[in-house]
Amino acid sequence: MAILLNENTKVIVQGITGKQGTFHARSMIDYGTKVVAGVTPGKGGQEHLGVPVFDSMKEAVEATQATASVIFIPARFTYSAAMEAIDAGINLLTVITEGVPVQDSARIRQKALDNDVVMVGPNCPGLITPEASKIGIIPGEICAKGNVGIVSRSGTLTYEIIQNLTVNSFGQSTCVGLGGDPIKGIGFNECLTLFENDPQTKQIILVGEIGGTGEQQAADLVKKEITKPVYAFIAGQTAPPGKQMGHAGAIVHGKSGTAKEKMRILSEAGITTVKISSEIPLRIKENL
Amino acid sequence: MPVFNNMPMLYEIEGKQLFKENKIPVPRFRAYTDSNSISQFVEEIGSDVMMAKAQALSGGRGKAGLIKKVSSAEAEEYIQSILGRDHRGKPVEIVMLEEPLEIEKEYYLAVMLDNESGKYLIIASSRGGVDIEEVAEHYPDDIFKEYLSIWDVPFSYLFIDLGKNLGFEAKTLTSFTNLMTNMVNMAKQRDLTLVEINPLILTPDKKIIAADSKVVIDGNSDFRQANITSLKSQRDRHTELEFEADQAGISYVQLDGEIGIVSGGAGLSMATCDLLEFFGSSPANFLDVGGGADETKIEKSLEILSRQDIKGIFVNFFAGITRCNDVAHGIINASKKFKIEVPIVIRLVGTNDKEGISILEKNGIKAYGEMEPAARKIIELVKGGN
Repeated sequence: MAILLNENTKVIVQGITGKQGTFHARSMIDYGTKVVAGVTPGKGGQEHLGVPVFDSMKEAVEATQATASVIFIPARFTYSAAMEAIDAGINLLTVITEGVPVQDSARIRQKALDNDVVMVGPNCPGLITPEASKIGIIPGEICAKGNVGIVSRSGTLTYEIIQNLTVNSFGQSTCVGLGGDPIKGIGFNECLTLFENDPQTKQIILVGEIGGTGEQQAADLVKKEITKPVYAFIAGQTAPPGKQMGHAGAIVHGKSGTAKEKMRILSEAGITTVKISSEIPLRIKENL
Repeated sequence: MPVFNNMPMLYEIEGKQLFKENKIPVPRFRAYTDSNSISQFVEEIGSDVMMAKAQALSGGRGKAGLIKKVSSAEAEEYIQSILGRDHRGKPVEIVMLEEPLEIEKEYYLAVMLDNESGKYLIIASSRGGVDIEEVAEHYPDDIFKEYLSIWDVPFSYLFIDLGKNLGFEAKTLTSFTNLMTNMVNMAKQRDLTLVEINPLILTPDKKIIAADSKVVIDGNSDFRQANITSLKSQRDRHTELEFEADQAGISYVQLDGEIGIVSGGAGLSMATCDLLEFFGSSPANFLDVGGGADETKIEKSLEILSRQDIKGIFVNFFAGITRCNDVAHGIINASKKFKIEVPIVIRLVGTNDKEGISILEKNGIKAYGEMEPAARKIIELVKGGN
């Protein structure tokens, strides 16, 4: 089962002929992802990595019936590429690009919501369903198939946690890297609900960071609706307090953005909260 | 960008300049970096009394005595007395002289790009000029919030109800709705994530004027907002090393611990800082080279650390979009070019790690595969060296 992505998901790589696009499209293909097309305007009709290249997303979707796309395109062109993907009718949009203007992300997010498109990112590592498929840049070799669902705001820190799980014989159902930007596509709660409803997933790991309110909302959801055991790690526990987003930010979101506060709220919701990420597999073992 | 980084805030005077360009009424003002030609300004505003306000990126200027109502005779001495004065670690370099305002009532007004909803959020209150967080706590009914979709054109009519709720009427209501239109348009066109006016002043002749400005910009929009991201505030919000890192596209925050860190990804960089603390040492910095960093960025990171007063360096990579061979080359290049006299421990796994490790080994450098043993090793080397 897993969530969002399986071995049959047809994926288009936007920016496939670029340096990053080429490198990571190849790694996705090697992992087993069904990369059915690439899009680079002006390079339509060519073949790259054994995959047909199209000038537009519309042409690529029409020719391949792909339902997912992944963006490896410089930040200044990401807005248009994402809009194009949604207009072309894909259901799952993953934006790997870092440095996308926040306003562009807000627009992409709204367009995705209006069209029932699942958006992951921007500034994210993507997602992987081990031994089936991956979209994005999570190194496949550290993953193993299993029952742990991971949802994370971080990239490289997620790899750290995945590897630790794999080494300790805890495979994963699906790992989703949400991305580190203030405005992004899906969040913890969408993934928690998907994992709750996924028969393959038996435990859920939530990896958070200081700032924002996603973890607090996740705590609320876990209290009310999630029956599977949830484990959490928050990065930035020793960070000096981040500057508030002016007073307006404090009015809207309160002052609960510190790691300590988040860990307290998560613990209160019945989530097993660890101080060091390598404790996660140990805690899972204890609870089995 | 992590919260960990410095907020890209503008100086009040830079914000007011933006306000002026976007037809948001502000008092007449002028910037001073010395106390020359004050008389010209006195003549311009036709008043012998004025506000002198030191420009600083940290709050608490009033309490620090950096804002004062002065006469033209006092202005010169006052400016001289506050130029160069330290305010929360930064010297005052600009003083703004401003026309004084007659106040009938003070309001609070903010437009922010709200992270949670992805919409523009307008916050307004007729209880301005004070700590708005306290107003929110004690008089929540006096705070008005309205969301604007990211696609909405901010026509003036959208703000009529808000204006009436705040008590504006007749011509002032129109001034207010126009101001709102201009404020939202400015936020959109200039990629501002927060525009705060506290207080917005109503004068006895029923004009509304922004007496202060707090503006936060979006660092990611630098490619289309170069004239904002190049403002003096964007240099001054960093230390010298932070600014250099920022220019190189490296997210770096100077801290006061003993071990310098080079890492990739905000989460892992933060977790690396945490780990050093938990194991009994402390990070000298937060450093995230960013996704897909090439060897020059790694080299630049180490160059920056070589100029910081530290006792050891911990390079910690779990490479995804970054490649370990690039990291290895960067380390080798840096070790040849810069004087790195402190112990260095490297942890390298992920994309192309075998290649990276063999590059390091050819140069006699051992790399760790796991983060915790590597962290313990660098701490041991640092503590042992004492």
